[in-house]
Amino acid sequence: MHSGGNASSLPLVGGAPEPTINQLSKPGRRASRFPKLDVPVTEINNSAIRNDKPSLPEVSEHDLVMHYSRLAHRNFAVDVGFYPLGSCTMKYNPRFADYVAGLNTFANSHPSTPSAFTQGNLKVLHELGKFLIEITGMDNATFQPPAGASGELTGLLIIKKYLEENNLTNKKDIIVPDSAHGTNPASAKMAGFNVVEVSTDVRGMVNIDDLKELVNENTAGLMLTNPNTGGLFEENIMEISNIIHENGGLVYYDGANLNAIVGVCRPGDMGFDIVHSNLHKTFATPHGGGGPGSGPVAVKAFLKEYLPGPIVEKNENSYEWYMPKLSIGRMHGYHGNFLVALRALVYMKLLGKEGLDTLGSYAVLNARYLSSVISKVIPLAYNEPCMHEFVATVKDLKKSHKIKAYDVGKALLDKGFHSPTIYFPLIIEEALMFEPTETQTVDTLDDLAETLKAIIDELQGEDVSLEEYPKNLPVGRPNELIPAKHLTVNWGDFELLEITE
Amino acid sequence: MFVPHSEIDLKKMFEELSISSLDDLFTHIPETLKLNDGLNVPPSLSELESISDFENLESKNTQDLICFAGGGHYDVYLPQTVKSLTMRPEFMTSYTPYQAEISQGILQVLFEYQSLICDLTDMELANASLYDGATSVAEAISVAINKTKRDNVVISSGFNPNTKEVVNTLLDRNKFNINYVDLVNYLFPEDYVFSENDAAFVVSLPHYEGSAQDLTSIVQNAKAAGVITICYADPSMLGILKSPGSMGFDIVVAEGQSMGSPLSFGGPTVGWFATRKELARLVPGRIIGESRDSKNTKTYVMTLRAREQDIRREKASSNICTNQTLNAVGSTIHLSWLGPEGLYEIGYQAIQKASYMKQLLTDNNFNVLNLSSSLREFLVETNKPAEEVIIEMGSKGFLAGIKYDDNQILVAVTEKRTKAQIDSYVDSLVEVNSA
Repeated sequence: MHSGGNASSLPLVGGAPEPTINQLSKPGRRASRFPKLDVPVTEINNSAIRNDKPSLPEVSEHDLVMHYSRLAHRNFAVDVGFYPLGSCTMKYNPRFADYVAGLNTFANSHPSTPSAFTQGNLKVLHELGKFLIEITGMDNATFQPPAGASGELTGLLIIKKYLEENNLTNKKDIIVPDSAHGTNPASAKMAGFNVVEVSTDVRGMVNIDDLKELVNENTAGLMLTNPNTGGLFEENIMEISNIIHENGGLVYYDGANLNAIVGVCRPGDMGFDIVHSNLHKTFATPHGGGGPGSGPVAVKAFLKEYLPGPIVEKNENSYEWYMPKLSIGRMHGYHGNFLVALRALVYMKLLGKEGLDTLGSYAVLNARYLSSVISKVIPLAYNEPCMHEFVATVKDLKKSHKIKAYDVGKALLDKGFHSPTIYFPLIIEEALMFEPTETQTVDTLDDLAETLKAIIDELQGEDVSLEEYPKNLPVGRPNELIPAKHLTVNWGDFELLEITE
Repeated sequence: MFVPHSEIDLKKMFEELSISSLDDLFTHIPETLKLNDGLNVPPSLSELESISDFENLESKNTQDLICFAGGGHYDVYLPQTVKSLTMRPEFMTSYTPYQAEISQGILQVLFEYQSLICDLTDMELANASLYDGATSVAEAISVAINKTKRDNVVISSGFNPNTKEVVNTLLDRNKFNINYVDLVNYLFPEDYVFSENDAAFVVSLPHYEGSAQDLTSIVQNAKAAGVITICYADPSMLGILKSPGSMGFDIVVAEGQSMGSPLSFGGPTVGWFATRKELARLVPGRIIGESRDSKNTKTYVMTLRAREQDIRREKASSNICTNQTLNAVGSTIHLSWLGPEGLYEIGYQAIQKASYMKQLLTDNNFNVLNLSSSLREFLVETNKPAEEVIIEMGSKGFLAGIKYDDNQILVAVTEKRTKAQIDSYVDSLVEVNSA
């Protein structure tokens, strides 16, 4: 079938490895040219000056452009094909934001430029803050955190400082679901808290009985996504947040799954005190191969003075920086990832009320539809209506045919689709987590389900060697042990290893 | 907007799900939580309408200030080649290369990034990026603390105040002591005595104030006391300064903005992190390794994954997940474009032009506080309060620098500045300062 998300025509195929830029280097070649020095030359006397030239590749500009263009061709991306990677929200990133992010003073302002000369930039942050506050149901926001994990740490440091200010330093426990992203416990540890795991019940939601047992006078707070990492809406969220609040703790919303509820409901109305959003997920800024992101944090008014800063405030005629009085400090050298925030503002303005009111609905519609058609191929982990993503499991196929989630993911790559997230959440055996996002067509969703069916039929065949998948790509499954054991992390390391072994 | 569903599509999907409206998707959500009237936000804009909207917003910034500010972020020329290659959609719209077979492009670029940084700093292992220079300093200190199990951190006071604030925020002050050591005549004291309680020695090359020194003997003293030594380097000066590795440092971090990223009002940029292989298992963030596939074809893959949060959870070396990969791609391509001659030229021209400017300022009776030890960045004394000077210089078309003290401005010169701009800056500063 033909679908917009199928990348099987992609010319990724091409057997030969691409040399490194260092292998393309020849003495005396160069791409860079500079204007002639237009001031008189003086002698430089400083003990830190080197006597030789630095070690860098020497290549022509055309060789450089060809090399990196070929490497670009060897990369799957949202702009290339369907990327149903659960918990990552790989939606379409509007091209128009590239134009705006390239405008002169947006792209080229020095971060120390006084606010008097950067009113436009401050207004960008202020306007985006208003959108975020409305969407999440909070009161104040900071753009300091450069990514989601940094947002989590921000939230936890706010909780810590708030408890210190209120002489509640005995409160050291942060409760985290056993299904949570790894960043949650890692951030809690970094902030100096103890991590306490709450279990998941058979329906896939926070086990309320377990939660009640775990909560006590030492509870500092709870970190939760809603919908949770299984893609299910925590229906008892009000009871959950009440339990924490009654014990004097704060409730933190991990915005990883915010896309499901934009325009449907708001964390602020569910009892959450602190929220981080991932602008690179929910608000369509490009993932950049793994970053940059942006993880702004929004809080209820009683926590405003704890925010990392400076934050932007609107005065009568101008926008000014303001350092909150009890601020936890700074999470970033300057103002967070400003250009990412700008791109998110572009997205929000283009969507406006019409688009934002229905954003979560369409994201859920696509996931619910995909879960329905995929459930006919492999079983779902939970028999509950999913939100923006869902988890299927191949644990039965593993028993019957030794087919693992890993194998299914690898076989999908051959057919022009990115693999879903595998082995997450950790509590589900042989998990495959799909998140289609709202920007894919129903044709692409059908194509994925049909392809999945064909793959599973194929993998169950008699003479199939699972390790051979993927077969149609420039490289097959990598040996993951060699670099971990021998630390082949630089050019030359591997060749050296071959010589010595 | 960007939602592709036609009426026909919706009919088909609703039928599959046995529902009749989008609202039917949410019958399991408590009614009291639902937004019945939707969000209070402005109406949708078409792309055409929003062009003027955003151009208007951008025009509220003061245009075309000639940049003499530094402090970690420098107005180095960013070639179009680097910008357009970095913005290739295959790089820009991909995610973390979990699936190596369809991510060899980004994996190889990051492997080249790691290798370039190691070559440039004389280190053995670099990660695939951290958030920025300031957070990289904090992460490096954590590595030193984990390695030494000591609780005192010795940091040179010659850092951007924002970097110090980030370190103060990210380090648990209840557990660890941070000891800021004052510079003497803008240089780190050669005779500083390290103790057996010191986990880390952190110093900037050049110092925030712009002065530079060979740090070899100080590093030797620190290492003799078992201290992990951390250098915060200025990438755009690495072509002309001795490498941190050659001075003996254990860890090198940097604010990588000047290599491959526009100034961007401070973000997104990239934090460089490189070290020696003996510290590999304490390194934060992603690392790319070279391997082979089953047919013995060269294959790049994420490696040493057991350090990371998605596997180790609360025992991870850091909580970092999303990093600054695209800016690392920018660094890779920019460094390759520059080559040894280009990176040297950036440093050489900046220092020569700064030297000319310092002489001109001195000739005009300004006091340059660190005249002889400074390179491309230096401190100038003003009669008027620094804040006023900077605002008034702005109305003359210059970003004069960064306020350092009540009457002191930190001025930075890059290779992009011309003699005419420098002459005009000094003329303007004379006017502003005497008015």
